[in-house]
Amino acid sequence: MAPSATEPVAPSFDRQSPIPPPQLYPVREAHFEQYPEPQRPDGYRTAVRRNDAAIVIDNGSSACRAGWSFENKPRLNVTPIFSKYRDRKLGKTYSFVGQDVLSDTTARGHMRNAFEAGTGIVSNWDVMESLLDYTFIKMGVDSSEGVNVPIVMTEAVANLAYSRKSMTEIMFECYNVPSLSYGIDSLFSYDYNNGKTGLVVSSSHSSTHVIPVLNSKAILTQATRLNWGGSQSADYLLKLIRLKYPTFPGKLNASQAEHMVRDHCYLSQNYDQEIAGYLDWEGLEDRDRVIQYPFVEEVIIQKSEEELAKIAERKQESGRRLQAQAQKMRLEKLVQKEQELEYYRDLQSRLVDQTKKEIKRLLDDEEMKDEAALERTIKELDKSIRKQRIKDVGGPEIEEEVEEPDYSLLDTPDDQLDEAGIKAKRHQRLMKSNNEARARAKAEKEREKARIAEEQRADEERRENNLEGWLQDRRSARAEIIQKMKDRDRLKADLGNRKSLASQIRMKSIANLASDAPTKKRRRGNDDDNFGANDDDWGVYRQIATGDGSDDEEEEDFGAGLKTLEADLLKYDPEFTDQHTLDAQTDWTKSLVHAFLRGPRPFDPKSQGEAHQLHLNVERIRVPEVIFQPAIAGLDQAGLIEIAADILTTRLNNNPNQGDFLKDIFLTGGHSQFQNFDERLREGLRGYLPAGAPVAVRRAKDPILDSWKGAARWAGSEKWKSSQITRADYLEKGAEWFKEHDLGNAYS
Amino acid sequence: MAPPTPEAEAHQILIDQLDIHAIPKPFRSAHWKPNQRRNKNIKTIIGDVIRKEASTMATQDNSGAVTPLPDDSVTSTDGDITPAVSTASATLQPNLAQASRNLSKLVLERNMKSSGFSSAPTATYTNIESAPSMAHNKHYCDITGLPAPYTDPKTRLRYHNKEVFGVIRTLGQGVAEQYLEARGAHTILK
Repeated sequence: MAPSATEPVAPSFDRQSPIPPPQLYPVREAHFEQYPEPQRPDGYRTAVRRNDAAIVIDNGSSACRAGWSFENKPRLNVTPIFSKYRDRKLGKTYSFVGQDVLSDTTARGHMRNAFEAGTGIVSNWDVMESLLDYTFIKMGVDSSEGVNVPIVMTEAVANLAYSRKSMTEIMFECYNVPSLSYGIDSLFSYDYNNGKTGLVVSSSHSSTHVIPVLNSKAILTQATRLNWGGSQSADYLLKLIRLKYPTFPGKLNASQAEHMVRDHCYLSQNYDQEIAGYLDWEGLEDRDRVIQYPFVEEVIIQKSEEELAKIAERKQESGRRLQAQAQKMRLEKLVQKEQELEYYRDLQSRLVDQTKKEIKRLLDDEEMKDEAALERTIKELDKSIRKQRIKDVGGPEIEEEVEEPDYSLLDTPDDQLDEAGIKAKRHQRLMKSNNEARARAKAEKEREKARIAEEQRADEERRENNLEGWLQDRRSARAEIIQKMKDRDRLKADLGNRKSLASQIRMKSIANLASDAPTKKRRRGNDDDNFGANDDDWGVYRQIATGDGSDDEEEEDFGAGLKTLEADLLKYDPEFTDQHTLDAQTDWTKSLVHAFLRGPRPFDPKSQGEAHQLHLNVERIRVPEVIFQPAIAGLDQAGLIEIAADILTTRLNNNPNQGDFLKDIFLTGGHSQFQNFDERLREGLRGYLPAGAPVAVRRAKDPILDSWKGAARWAGSEKWKSSQITRADYLEKGAEWFKEHDLGNAYS
Repeated sequence: MAPPTPEAEAHQILIDQLDIHAIPKPFRSAHWKPNQRRNKNIKTIIGDVIRKEASTMATQDNSGAVTPLPDDSVTSTDGDITPAVSTASATLQPNLAQASRNLSKLVLERNMKSSGFSSAPTATYTNIESAPSMAHNKHYCDITGLPAPYTDPKTRLRYHNKEVFGVIRTLGQGVAEQYLEARGAHTILK
C-alpha cells in the first residue's frame, strides 16, 4: 500500500461550524462499596440438616464465588486479594479480603493476590486461606468443630498436583470438612447449559481453554490452553495507553483498564478491513471513545465590574499622585534655573564696565573660563527654561533654529591663531566631520530605499510581463525554504543521535577548537593559525552550538520568508489556494496521529479537562483481537480459531462424532462476552471446514455465573455422591489422591 | 498530636469493622500448622515434578531391586521428558524414589490402556498449552495499530505511513524498545 493511499481524507465539515461537545465516559475502577454484613447462620443450619447440601466455591482468578448448593445464586463474590499489615501506632494487625482491601490506602499498598499472575493456579496459600476464612465467616459458618458441610470447588484445567494437594490439605486439616470434590468451571457451565457433545470455548480472566466434550465427558487429552484472558487484555491495554500518552497526568491502573476493556472494546467481524479505516474522518466521531479522568480546573478568578472599576480607580489615583509629584519637582527645578539665569544675567551686566583683571577674578569665582563660556551657559539655561515652560504650559513647539555651524576657522592656518583660536578650530573640525558622517549615512539610507523600490518595481514589471516565470521563481523559492527547514530539522534530529555523521563532524570541530597541539601549518613555522582572518571562520561556533537559542534567528527568517512567499502565491497564483500553504498542510485535521491521540476534535493543551482525557479508538478492536491473533501482543501461540480448527479437524478427525462437535460450540467465561465473539468464531472456523459443514456457536446464558450454578446443580446429584473425597479417603490415600469424574480433571 | 478528624475516626471504625484478623474463626482447626514454604510458583512446581520423575526413571531402570515394568516408563512420563533407555552407565542406587510411585496411578494407567486411550499422554498443565501459530503473522503499526507496510531499520518498529515514521524518529531514548516490548519483540539481555 502506498503511503499516499493511506493519508486521511480532508475533513468534510466546515471548521467554523460549532461542533457538539464529545460524549465523555468517566473512568471506572474497582472500589470499596460498603461493609458486607456476615450472613445469618440460617444457611449453615439448613446445610448441616440436609444431607445433599454443599458449599459451592467457584474459585476463579477474577473472583471467588461462593454459596449454598440449594440456592440459585452465589451469596458471595469476592476478589481473590488479601492484605495484611500491622499498624504500629495502634499495635494491631489488620487483615482484609476482597473489595475491603480497597477501602484503605495502607491496605491497598499491602495487597496480594491468591493466584499467580496471569494464571488460574493458586500460588499464595496464605492468601487462599484468608480468602476461605472470609468466605466461611461471611456465609455464617459458626460451629467450633470445623466446616461441617461438603465442599464443591472448581479448579483450573489440568491443575498442578501440588496445587491440588495443598488445597486438599487445607480443607481437611484446617477446616475439617467431611468431604471435598473438584471440577472444572467451564465444564460445569456447559453442563448447566445442557450440553452433551460439543466444543467448550472458555475465555476467562487468566486464560482461554478449548475443551472437546463427548457424551458429557470431557476429552481432556485434547484440551488446549491459550495463555490469554481478561487480565492479559487489561494489561495490554494499559501498556498501550501508557505508550500512547506518556505524559498523562492522571493515575492509570489495571483495574481501570479492565473496566475499559469491558465497556468499550469489541471484536471486529473483519479486523483487517475495519482497522485500516479506523482513523478515517468518516465516522471517527462514533468510533472514538473519550475517557474523562477526574481533574481540577485551574481557577481563574473572574473579577466583578465593580472591583475592576475600583482597581482602575486606584491605579489612576496613584498615577495622578506621581504626576503631581513630578510636576512639583519640575517646578522647583525651573525656579532654580530661573534664579540661576537671573544671577548670570546680573553677572554679565556687572562685567560690562570692569577691568580685565576684575572680570577674570569674577569669572574664576564662577569657574568660568571666559566671557564666551558665560554666554553659552546663559544661552543653554534660557533654552532649557523655555522648553520646560512649553512642556508644562503646553504651548506650541517652537522650531529650534538650526544654526549653520561656523567653520570659519578651519581655513586659517594654525600659526595665525592664538591658543583659544586653535582650540576653537579643533572644535569646529570635530563638528564638521560629525555632520559629514551623518549626511553620508543619510544618503546611504536613501540609496538603499531607492534600490529596494527599484527592485520592487522590477519585480512587479517582471510579474506583469512574465507571470509564469515569476510564479515559478516564487514556487522554487518556497520549495527551497521548506527544504531548508526540513534540513534543519533533520540536522537537529541527527545531532540527537550520537553516531550520526552530523554529530561526529560536530565533535570533531569541537576537538579541533579545543586542541592545543600544533597543527601541521604551525609546525612549518607559521605560528598564527589565521583563525578569524576570514569571517566565515566564526561559523564554526554556530555549527557546534546546539540546543536552545542556537538558531533562533534563522528560524524566524524561514517563517517570515515563507509567509511572504505564500502570500504572494496566494495573491497571484490561481492554482495555489489556502489548502496548499504549509500551515494548512500540517494542520491537525490532516494528521493521522492527531486522530489517533485526540480524536476528531482540535486539542487545546491549556485545557485541564482535555489533558485528562484518554481517547480509545484503534485499541477498541486491537485489544480483543489478540485472542484471535496472539502475535499482536507478542504471544507465541496459535490463535483461538487455529486451536479450535486443529482440535476439530486434525485431532478428532477419526472420531465418528466429529460433526456433533461442530453443532455445539459453546462460549463461556467473562472474557467471551465481547460483542461479535460468536460470529467471529463461526466465520473463522468456516474457513477451515469443508464447505457446507454445519457450525453452530452458542453462548452460555450467564457466562460468568453459570459455572457456579452448574456446580451447585451437580452438587446434589448421584454423580457428585460418587466423586467425593471423603475424610476417610483423605486419611487413607493422602492429599494427592482424588476421584475422577466427567466434569473434573484427570488423575495423573 | 492533633486530634483525629471526624472522617478519620469514621474511617477507623470502618476498617475495624472490615478487619477479619480479630474476628474469631471457630471453624478453623487449632492444630493446623501450615508448611512455611508452601507458596511455590508454577515454575518451581513443574521443576520439582520433572526432577522427581527423572530420579524415578533412573532408579527404576537400573536398580534391579524390583521387577522392572517394561511398558510403564512410556506412559508415566506425562510426555514431559524423553523416557530414558536402560543404560549400563548408571550406578546402583538405593531405590528411594520407588516409594513415591503411586500404586493407584499404575493401576489407572493399566485400565486406561485397556479402554483404548493408551496412545494419548495424560493432560498436564504444561502440555495442554497451545502450540506456536503456523499462520503467517500480519504486520500492524506499533504506534497506531493500523496495517504496517514498512519497518524502520533503526528501531525495528513497524509503521503505517511517513507521518508515523516522523513520530518514531522523535521518540525518546528507550521508548522504541517499550513499543517493541508490547509486541514481544524487544531485546532481552541475559
